[in-house]
Amino acid sequence: MKGKNALMVLVPMLAVALLFGLSTAAVAADVKIGGIMDTTGATSDVGKDYAIGMEEAFKYINEQGGINGKMVKYTWFDYGYRIPEAITKYKLLKRLKSLVIMGWGTGDTEALSPTVNKDQIPYVSASYSAHLTDPKKSRYNLFFSSDYSTNARACLTAWFDKKWPKHPDYGKRKPRFACAYMFASPYCSAPIKAVKDHAQMLGFEIGEDQDVSLFALDTKSQIMALKKFEPDVCWHGNTTMSVSATIRDAYSLGLGADWIVNNWGMDENLPRLAGEAAKGVMGATPCAFYGQDYKNMDVVVATAKKYNPGIPQEKRLIRTIQAWGDALITWEALIRADKAGAMTGDGVMVKGFETLRNYDIGLGASPVTFTADDHRPTTGCLVQEWTGEKFVEVERVDLKERWPEKWAEAWLGW
Amino acid sequence: MSHVWLPCGDYHQTYEEDQGWWQTTFIKTKMVLLLLVVFVGIPQFLDDYWISVGTMVGYTAMGALGVQLLIGYAGLITLGHAAFIAVGAYTSTLMVLQVPWPQFMIDWGLAYPVSILAAAVTAGIWSVLFGLPSAKVKGFYLILTTMAAQFITVDFILTQYVSQIGGRGQAFSLPPGTIKIGPWIIDTETEVYYTMAVLITLMVIVLANLLRSKAGRAWVAIRDNDIAAEALGINIVWYKLLAFFVAGAMAGVAGAFWVSNTAALSPEHFPWFWSLWLVGVILIGGVGSIHGAVFGSIFMVVVMELLQMAVIPLSIYYPKLLMDFAFIKDMAFGLAICAFLIYEPNGLAYRWWQIKNYFNLWPFSY
Repeated sequence: MKGKNALMVLVPMLAVALLFGLSTAAVAADVKIGGIMDTTGATSDVGKDYAIGMEEAFKYINEQGGINGKMVKYTWFDYGYRIPEAITKYKLLKRLKSLVIMGWGTGDTEALSPTVNKDQIPYVSASYSAHLTDPKKSRYNLFFSSDYSTNARACLTAWFDKKWPKHPDYGKRKPRFACAYMFASPYCSAPIKAVKDHAQMLGFEIGEDQDVSLFALDTKSQIMALKKFEPDVCWHGNTTMSVSATIRDAYSLGLGADWIVNNWGMDENLPRLAGEAAKGVMGATPCAFYGQDYKNMDVVVATAKKYNPGIPQEKRLIRTIQAWGDALITWEALIRADKAGAMTGDGVMVKGFETLRNYDIGLGASPVTFTADDHRPTTGCLVQEWTGEKFVEVERVDLKERWPEKWAEAWLGW
Repeated sequence: MSHVWLPCGDYHQTYEEDQGWWQTTFIKTKMVLLLLVVFVGIPQFLDDYWISVGTMVGYTAMGALGVQLLIGYAGLITLGHAAFIAVGAYTSTLMVLQVPWPQFMIDWGLAYPVSILAAAVTAGIWSVLFGLPSAKVKGFYLILTTMAAQFITVDFILTQYVSQIGGRGQAFSLPPGTIKIGPWIIDTETEVYYTMAVLITLMVIVLANLLRSKAGRAWVAIRDNDIAAEALGINIVWYKLLAFFVAGAMAGVAGAFWVSNTAALSPEHFPWFWSLWLVGVILIGGVGSIHGAVFGSIFMVVVMELLQMAVIPLSIYYPKLLMDFAFIKDMAFGLAICAFLIYEPNGLAYRWWQIKNYFNLWPFSY
């Protein structure tokens, strides 16, 4: 009988909820923004903090008056890093009439790219794949950060500038370079062609790639394979969990190479997970780490404390800042589009995003520019190193400044 | 015999009569209505979102039909079907993008249809390769060999070699207008849905026909008792491999269709979890029934979408519902399988059969 009573309460509750859910009027708001996040899947080690940060950012935006007084209704879903799931979620968000969608991974962002182009819905993702930066191919894909290929080129340049000259073999032989990443993951493999091209340009000898799963806990066989090549520097293109597993194994097996890491593998958890092995690891950081002293950081920290007081501050990551980066450029683009009376997908793109020129969001990020021909938001990237105690700046590499011709003609879109 | 109803006690006298599809006017009317709903009702009266849900139902059912043939009809347990779908998807994509088609083939929209056929044949042959161990092993051991298909095909061959073709890295993207069937460019939700509806209808017709042929009877005999089947003179290795070929070919068509839905492709589209999901689909729909594969797909896709709809308003009060929705969905999937195995082990298809019988025997259904 007890179970029957529970059912009698639960079933009508679900039915009412369903009724509201089925009705698009249930989400009546001035500006609808959708989100497709990974809080449970393969990249949830970095995705959860990003999703929380994004929600906090939109709450803050509403506190500040939203889009010229219009409130933002932000509806997001977890897709568990499953592409078919992302596609159905995208279609649901489209049905809910989302003006802009905040996306996540490279696999789903690239998979959805032809569709968002067709639907003319700006898709601001946490995937910074350079494949998404050529407006001729993917006009509606955007992000605030330097792209993965720029990250990889910048990290390798910084290592070449700052570390290689201190090596005992400097001037005697070519530096040796190898890559470790999950071959099957579009995120991990996106910048590989670019980083190898860059290595060749700088005169590196390139070794064989090593396949390291995003779930890897043991990478000894890959490290043993790398040891045969004796690299001086290795690129790791995964997320924090598997990056830490790899550098731990490299440390214990005495690989002796320096590590340069893509932005999703370089956060506050890296030293926690890898301990001593993390010392000297350099990585691309599209923005400041959580709590670092930069413009607007106080707002981010205050909002996090206000809306998620249950999450200890020391557990918050750079991912929150990255989410804010994407939310802030979207906010500015929507404000500009609204003022121009162009609150459509195409309007937000032309009168919003593509009017941003050296737009400073603070948070340690590089200024953002989008033009109709080039969606690379920044021309370089800040490379930081974990010293064993804190992250310090190694170099802010500006690729456009150093290789202006290649930047303009050769490097767009890959 | 009445041509409207099939009265009690009026038995068929030939195998052809017994196996006839639409035996009475009532059944014919019912099936025409069903076709009208599928081909007119859904695409013309529902919005794009629900049409896309219909497309996902169809895609799931295409995969599930192959799994149903292997598990439900031939008794060959498989947990690697996503790999064969992947082979179909890659075959079709590579053919469309890389083959130097003569201009008339492109103009007449023949490249994609031909690639669907090629995808079916390639995936079928690939499936046979992983079906070879079924000559020697069955049960749990066969599950492991089919699981190997996933790791060898998707994680190794497709990821490390096939994905590199064209120098694109991991993901392929099909430019707009590439997917063309005859004069129609498959571009909108409705066009993708129609492609699915035609393909799934053809697949159901092919499978239903195969099941009432010599091969179908052989598969069922092998499923029920392979030793007895062999004693009856059935070449069980041949028919097992044929089952793998047909199931693989169906997976190939599903994969080739998937490309038209996404216009992009990477190995991440075909996780091992999808193979498990398809097995769940036929467990819920009903093992050993074509209806089962379709009902299971409808249940798994539509119910999960409705669950999602229910969560949206509730998430205002319980934000974690959205944050952990993938867990909730997996939990619902697991619970649904448990509930069906306990309360309706024959699946939704059996329930459908009971409902049909009730009305067929009405007013004497007791």
